[in-house]
Amino acid sequence: MDRPDHTPLETPSQPQKLAPAEERQKQLEFQHEAVVHLNSLYNYALHITMNPADAQDLVQETYLKAYRFFNSFERGTNCKAWLFKILKNNYINIFRKNAKEPGKVDYDLIKDFYHSIKDTRVDTTEAESDYFHSLLHEEVAQALHSLPEEFREVIQLCDLEGFTYEEIANMVESPIGTVRSRLYRGRKLLRTQLEEYAKQHHFTPDAKQ
Amino acid sequence: MSAAVDGELSITEEQQFFRHLAECLACTAEFEEAQKTKMIIKERIIRFKAPQTLIDSIMQLTNLTPNEILQ
Repeated sequence: MDRPDHTPLETPSQPQKLAPAEERQKQLEFQHEAVVHLNSLYNYALHITMNPADAQDLVQETYLKAYRFFNSFERGTNCKAWLFKILKNNYINIFRKNAKEPGKVDYDLIKDFYHSIKDTRVDTTEAESDYFHSLLHEEVAQALHSLPEEFREVIQLCDLEGFTYEEIANMVESPIGTVRSRLYRGRKLLRTQLEEYAKQHHFTPDAKQ
Repeated sequence: MSAAVDGELSITEEQQFFRHLAECLACTAEFEEAQKTKMIIKERIIRFKAPQTLIDSIMQLTNLTPNEILQ
């Protein structure tokens, strides 16, 4: 399977020095291709670390690596997918190898986390009568995080980040068929969970508004 | 089913799929539910803005000033 990032695990002693004009060229290209995806990477990092400080570290580490190995980025391919792959590898290297093994999802943390930024968000219209639309952001986030990681991962990459099946397959290093079936099963699980929340909204008389 | 929801079917597959939906209520219902689930994820998950400190440090990495990036 080809690996688009070719990121060696070992850091080379010194990346080759570029002449100032070339360096400048590289910076500009990096800006247009890679830095524009900063928000996407940050959001994805937040979802996998559930911790803003860790997410920042992860994104920063990802960009450091990406910049160092920018030459190995295959021009014309999806740079966002390339960055996500580096981020995922970084995550595995940094968090899995340390004691920071991602444990069970802490729902209180998710709640606090989202409540803390509640003021800054813009609510979409609530006009729809569909019961699904009464679901709150926190509940959807919680439902998503209640899924086994391999399901959550593909749903996020597909629905939130808009990657193609082929790009996702490459990122998670599984065949496209596996991606497809994980999406199918993951969405099914998610729907069950969401229906549960929706029921609580509508059928609990003293539900808080 | 997922591939249909995500627009990942080939044209032929898509035609077959929708021909089947036309005569199968169960699959139609499931297709609609799956679409709805995807929409909910897209609409309900909040996207955060990366903190300024992070933006700044990435800028430093490429030696660009924030003004240059914004242009």
